[in-house]
Amino acid sequence: MRWHAPADLEEALLLRGVHGEDVTVHAGGTFLGILMNQGLIAPPALLSLGRVAELRGIEVARGELRLGAMATHLAVERHPEVREGWPMLARAFGLVASRRVRAVATVGGVLADADYASDPPAALSALGARAILRGPGGERSVSIEELILGYYTTCIRPDELLVEVRVPPAPERAVYRKFVSRSSEDRPCVTVAAAHGAAGLAVVVGALAERPQRFDDLCAAAAGDLAAAGAREQLAQDYAARVEPIGDARGSAAYRRRVCAVEVRRALEALAA
Amino acid sequence: MRVDPRARGAVRYSVDADMPGQLHAALVRSTVAHGVVRGIDVSGVAPGVTVLLPEDVADLPLYGCQIADQAVLAERPRHAGDVVAAVAAPTPAAARAAARAVVVEVDELPAVFDALDAAREEAPLLHEGLSVSDNDAAYFGIRPVAGTNICHRFRIRHGDVEAGFAAADVVVEGTFRTPAAAHVPMEPHATVARFTEDGRLEVVTGTQTPFNMRMELAAMFGLDEEDVRIVVPPMGGSFGAKTFTRQEGIVAALARKTGRPVKLVLGRSEEFLTLNRHPSIVHVRLGATRTGDLVAKAVTCWADTGAYADCGPGVAQKMGFAAPGPYRIPNCWVDAHAVYTNTPPNGAFRGYGAMQSIWASERTMDLLAARLGTGPLELRRRNLLRDGDAYATGEAMHGTCFEELLDRAAAAVGYEHDPAGKGLCLVMKGMQTPSRASIAIEREGDGYVIRCATTEMGQGARRSLALLAAERLGCRPEQIRVPDPDTDRVPYDTRTTSSRSTFMMAGALAEACEALLEDGRRGHGTIVNDGGLDPDTGQGVASTHWHQAAGAAHLEVDEETGRVRLHRVHCAVYAGRVVNAPGAALQNEGSMTMGLGTALFESVDFNEGQVTNANLSDYNVPTARDAAALTHELVEREGAPIHGLGETALPPVPAAIGNALASLGIELYDLPMTPERVLEAIDRRAAPSPEPDLEARRR
Ligand SMILES: Cc1cc2nc3c(=O)[nH]c(=O)nc-3n(C[C@H](O)[C@H](O)[C@H](O)COP(=O)(O)OP(=O)(O)OC[C@H]3O[C@@H](n4cnc5c(N)ncnc54)[C@H](O)[C@@H]3O)c2cc1C
Repeated sequence: MRWHAPADLEEALLLRGVHGEDVTVHAGGTFLGILMNQGLIAPPALLSLGRVAELRGIEVARGELRLGAMATHLAVERHPEVREGWPMLARAFGLVASRRVRAVATVGGVLADADYASDPPAALSALGARAILRGPGGERSVSIEELILGYYTTCIRPDELLVEVRVPPAPERAVYRKFVSRSSEDRPCVTVAAAHGAAGLAVVVGALAERPQRFDDLCAAAAGDLAAAGAREQLAQDYAARVEPIGDARGSAAYRRRVCAVEVRRALEALAA
Repeated sequence: MRVDPRARGAVRYSVDADMPGQLHAALVRSTVAHGVVRGIDVSGVAPGVTVLLPEDVADLPLYGCQIADQAVLAERPRHAGDVVAAVAAPTPAAARAAARAVVVEVDELPAVFDALDAAREEAPLLHEGLSVSDNDAAYFGIRPVAGTNICHRFRIRHGDVEAGFAAADVVVEGTFRTPAAAHVPMEPHATVARFTEDGRLEVVTGTQTPFNMRMELAAMFGLDEEDVRIVVPPMGGSFGAKTFTRQEGIVAALARKTGRPVKLVLGRSEEFLTLNRHPSIVHVRLGATRTGDLVAKAVTCWADTGAYADCGPGVAQKMGFAAPGPYRIPNCWVDAHAVYTNTPPNGAFRGYGAMQSIWASERTMDLLAARLGTGPLELRRRNLLRDGDAYATGEAMHGTCFEELLDRAAAAVGYEHDPAGKGLCLVMKGMQTPSRASIAIEREGDGYVIRCATTEMGQGARRSLALLAAERLGCRPEQIRVPDPDTDRVPYDTRTTSSRSTFMMAGALAEACEALLEDGRRGHGTIVNDGGLDPDTGQGVASTHWHQAAGAAHLEVDEETGRVRLHRVHCAVYAGRVVNAPGAALQNEGSMTMGLGTALFESVDFNEGQVTNANLSDYNVPTARDAAALTHELVEREGAPIHGLGETALPPVPAAIGNALASLGIELYDLPMTPERVLEAIDRRAAPSPEPDLEARRR
C-alpha cells in the first residue's frame, strides 16, 4: 500500500487530481482504520492530509465560522469562538464518541464518510452550513443536504477534496439532542438539531435514516407559534410521520419513529424555553 | 513510579509469541449454517501456501471436552463460520489472501436456530449418535437424549413439587430469555505450535485449561500426554472464551502437514464465531403460602449450546443447580437441557450458566412479592438459606452469609426508606466440584519459584499466589517468582475456572509451603474437593463452598423513550477472607461491568444463523462512563476460608436492574433490557397482559 503525505493543499489537490479513485483520502483515520481492519476495503494507496496545515484552521470571518476539513472534533468542541458563537455546534461535536476518537477524528472525515449514525451532519444542516469542495475544476459550495446523498455516499467527486465547512452566523436559539440507546459512548440512535432565528425554523433529525431528515415545509408552517405546546406537539408528530426510519442494532424503525416524536418535541420545548 | 507492565506494553501475550521459522495461518469458514462440503477449490491459492483440507485430518478423531462431537475441520459445517479448511503462508497477509482464494462448495441441509425448535422431535438433527468424551471435564454423568438435539439433561427432584403447588396459596410463573453474548477479551485467541524433531507437540496458547487441552491434543494426535507440552503466557482477558480446545487442533494439524511451526491469531469478527455465551430460555413456576413461605418451585432451563457441545452440558447443569436459588423450598424440581442449534458454539462465560437462571429466578421472586403484596426484601429475608438448612440438592448449608449481604445491598440504595425505582437480587453460585489442585514451590536464589498451572488472564492470580506464599514463608512477595504455566514443569490442576483457583490453590499452597519449610528445598501440596450430583435426581454435593452475593439497583426511567438512568448499582460480595484487596476489588468491578453490558446492551444477533453484529460498533459493550454508577463491597468474616470471587458480582446486576424496573410496574422478561423493550413493557403496563407472547419474542 502506498502512502502519500503532501505538505500543502496544492500538492494534495494535485495528487488527488492525478490519482482520483485510485487513492483514498486519509484524514483522522478513525473510520478508514476500522474498514481496513475488518477487511471491507483494501485501498491500494492512501492520501494523508495530516501534514496539510492550512486545513486545520478554525476562524471567524465576517461573522461566518470557517472550519478547516482537518480541524478535529476536539478542536471544534474546545474553540472559544465556537463555544461563544455556535454553542450548539460545540456541543454536538463534543458528544461524538470518546475523547480519544474526538482528538483525531476530523470535520471533513465525519462529513465525507456520510455514516448515517453521526452527530455533526444534522447539527451543521440545522445551522445552514455549507461544505466547500475543491478540485481541478475549481471550487463549489454545497449544502449538507446536497453533500450527503445516502448511505456512505456523498456528492464529492473522485478528484475533489472537502476543504472547509462554512457556518453562517448562528441563529438566536439552537439546540442539539443526542439520544443513545446503549452505552454512553455509542453512536446515536436518534438526534435532533433545531435552530430558530431570522432564517426561520430548521429542524433536522439525524441518525434514524440513511441521511439527515429535514422538512422545511413543515417547519415553515409551524414556525409562527412555537410558544404553544400544541403546535410543538403537532410538528413533532408530523416529523415522526414523515421520516423514513431504518432499523438496526440500536433500535427498530418503529421505535425510532416514536423516539423521533419525543425528541423533536423536546428540542422544540428547549427552543421555546 | 511503578507502572503496571500491562500499561507499559511489557507483557508478552500469546499474540506476541513466536517460534523460529514459523508460518502464519488463516481459516476458511463456511458461509452456510448447515451443509455438506461438496468440494474445495484451491486453484486460486498462491504457490508456496499450504492448504489443510478435511482429508489431511481424516485420521484425527472427533474431539470435545464433554462430548466428542467436533472434527478438526468440518466436512459437514454445522454453523455459519464453522472452519472447513485452513492455510499456512509466510506472512499473515499472505495467509488471509490465500484463505479468501479458497472456494468451498457446500450443499445446504435444513438448519435450526432456536433451542426450543431444536428440541422438537421433528427438528433436523445436528449430530447422529453422541459419544461422551474421555476428557476429565466430562466427569459428571452426561445424559444425551438419543435421537434428539439434546446433548445433556439434568434433573433435580427434591420433595413432591405437584403436592407443593397444590398446597400453595399463590403461584406465579414466567418465561425468561437471555441472548448469546461475546466475551470480548482485548487479546483474541492466539496460538503457535510445532512438532519437535523427537515427535513432541509444543503449543503456546492462551487457555484457562492447559491440562484439559494436553489431554485432548494427545488423544487427537495419538501421543502420550507427556509428549504434548502446553505453555500459557498471560492472557489479555478471557472471561471463559479461552477454555478447552478451540483453534489449537487446527494449528497443530497445519504444523504437522507443513513440518514447520505455525501461528494463528483470530480477527475480532472471528471471535464472535468461535465461542459465545449460551442463550437461554428459562421457565419458572413458584408457589408460596399466603404468609410468604415458599412451598414449591419448578424450573425448566434450555441452554442453547450451538453447533458443538463444548462444555454446554456442564453449563446446563450449573444453570440447573443454580435454579432453586438461595432459598428454603421444600419441593423443588428442575429440568435443565443443553441443546444443539446451527449457531456458533457456546461455552464457558463468566458466571457459567448461573446468570441465566438467576435472572429468571430472581425476577420471579419479585413477581411473587407483588402478587403476595409483600415487599421483595421481606420475601427474601423470610426464605433465605441459613446454616444447617438443606439446599434442593440435599446438601446442608454452611458458611452462609445471605442475610448480611442482602441487608448491605439494600442499605446501599436506601431500599427500606423508599423502594420505588429500586430492585434487589440474591445470588448463590457453585464452584467446580469435584476438582483437584496441585502446586510445587522451590528455593531459587534468595527467593522461591512457584510451579503451578493456574493461568493469568488479568485476574491477578500470580500476585495472589505470591502474597499467600510470602505470608507462609515470611518473605516479601517480590522474592517469589510465578512463571508461565508449562505442562512440562507444573503439577496437574483441574483448570483456572469457576473462581476456584485462589480457594483451591491456597489450600494446596499452604501444604506445599509447610513441606518446603521441612525439606528446606522444595515442597509439594495437593488439595481435592470431593462431591458431585446425581444427574437424574440432582442430589449430592453441588459445591463444597458457595459464592454468595447480593445486588441492589436504583434507577429512573424516561417513560417516553424507555431509556434507563442508573443512579447506583451496588453489589455486596462474600469473600470470606480477602487475599489481594486491589485484585479482589477489580474482580468485582469487572464482573459488574460485564453484568451491566448483559443487563442493558449486549446481544450477539443472528439472521438465519449468520451473526449480524460481529464488530464492536454494532456489538456494544459498556464504557468507563457507564460503569460510574457501579459500587461494591467485600464482606469478610473472622476465621472464614477464602472464597472465590471472580464471577459472583456479575449475575446480580441484570436481575437487580430488572427488579428495579418491576418496582415501577415495568416487567421485563428478556435481556438485554434495551430502551425499546422497556418502552414495550411500559405499553404493557398501561394495558396489562401477563407476559409478552413467547412466540413473538423468538424473532
Ligand atoms: C469508537 C467510535 C465511536 C464513534 N462514535 C461516533 C458518534 O457518537 N457520533 C458520530 O458522529 N461519529 C462517531 N464516530 C465516527 C467518527 O466521528 C468518524 O469515524 C470520524 O469523524 C471520521 O473522521 P476521520 O477524520 O477519522 O476520517 P477518516 O477515517 O480519515 O476518513 C473518513 C472518510 O472520509 C474521507 N475523507 C476524509 N477527509 C476527507 C476530505 N477532506 N475530503 C474528501 N474525503 C475525505 C475518507 O476517504 C474516508 O472515506 C465514532 C467512531 C469511532 C471509531
